[in-house]
Amino acid sequence: MTLETGMQELLMEFLKTLPINIIIIILSAALGLLFAVLLTFVRLKRIPVISQLADLYVSFARSVPGLILLFIAYFGIPKVLPLIGLGTYDISPMHAAIISMGFYHSGYISEVFRPAYLAVEKSQHEAADSLGYTPMQKFFRIILPQMVPVALPGYGNALVYLIHDTSLIFAIGIVDIMGTAELSIARSYGTNQILIYFIIALMFSAMCFTTDGLVRKLEKRVAIR
Amino acid sequence: MFDLAASYEMFLGILGVLPETLLIAITILVLSTLLGVVLALIQQYKIPVLVQLTKLFKLFLRGTPMVVFLYLMYYALPAIGQFIVTLLGIDYNMNNMSPLVILIVTVSLTLSAFQSEIIRGSFLAVDPGQIEAAQSLGYSFSQTFTRIVAPQAFVHAIPDFANSFTVAIKATSLGFLITVIDIFAQAKIMAAQNFRFVEAFMMVALIYWGIGILITKFSDRYENDVRIK
Repeated sequence: MTLETGMQELLMEFLKTLPINIIIIILSAALGLLFAVLLTFVRLKRIPVISQLADLYVSFARSVPGLILLFIAYFGIPKVLPLIGLGTYDISPMHAAIISMGFYHSGYISEVFRPAYLAVEKSQHEAADSLGYTPMQKFFRIILPQMVPVALPGYGNALVYLIHDTSLIFAIGIVDIMGTAELSIARSYGTNQILIYFIIALMFSAMCFTTDGLVRKLEKRVAIR
Repeated sequence: MFDLAASYEMFLGILGVLPETLLIAITILVLSTLLGVVLALIQQYKIPVLVQLTKLFKLFLRGTPMVVFLYLMYYALPAIGQFIVTLLGIDYNMNNMSPLVILIVTVSLTLSAFQSEIIRGSFLAVDPGQIEAAQSLGYSFSQTFTRIVAPQAFVHAIPDFANSFTVAIKATSLGFLITVIDIFAQAKIMAAQNFRFVEAFMMVALIYWGIGILITKFSDRYENDVRIK
């Protein structure tokens, strides 16, 4: 086998496992967004106990490496499930990855959304109140449209970091592109590692810059003129 | 289930490696700050070729996860080192380069891009009126820099430096992939000895959390102390 056909095969192999990365990124981004909205709501409403717990959670998620959350989810969830009466299930590494990455991401973006909400002027709230808007109407028609342009750049950054962090999921045995790289290096007795990791760097770059571009496009559309 | 006694033992075991981890993180912080100053100067004075290279490097870091960069360096750095060494005509085998060196170099390079932005930002945040006032009082350029600009820029940079330090500590957790033993790797080793994975990872997470909180507290207090009120 010449080097060139070998390279092509390798590239095909990477492209075959790339969807795994993309699925995990999208699902954990969705989970993270959902949970972050909840977290931000709770932290802003200042509901006694629950708010403090949310604050504690955010400080925890922000100061612990993603790798550890990944391992805690992978090894911890099967131990916690029987406690809430769900029986013993082994959790698949994919689920562990999505859950831990999603929660890691949520701690980060909650810190993007909260300042964005606080950046909306108080007079806007008062004006909406004086015009008789219900809280729901006020939020969706007045506050949210003003929050989005402030939050988007930070959110885009968070997404890029999420993509970076998902490169760690091979550590719990998922065969994504990093896992494929390890396997193929082991198979070829440790040759051309530099090339392989360079290709992976390019693949991650492609994902990051696509996300960056999309977020930037959105930023232009929602910019307050 | 969750064994408290075993957890406590693990906590102590992991704590034993903490000084080493902190030392690695401090080394990384110092190196990346020095490199960050160089990068900031290159960008500020727009030195031809170098400024394009810096931009390319930042673009690369934006798109590449640190793990990938770490692996890339793990395989490429000894080769690069060997090339430089033979170029200089020194007979030395670079292939037994310690993984610790590779970890420190990789994380320092990654952080240096952030540090250069922090440094640039904090210098730009100093009020130009301050420099004008110093000049009108007859301060020389170096006096203006060391007595007026640098102290003020430093105060601006404290919170971001603290943040970088946390990032450095978190980044050393990747070291276990290339056999560097920091607190995370220690937790993993101890967990594998008696299969108490949850306890080990909870304990190490607690330690990371504690460090994070301490760094924030200290930097806030220090910033309050040095800020001109």
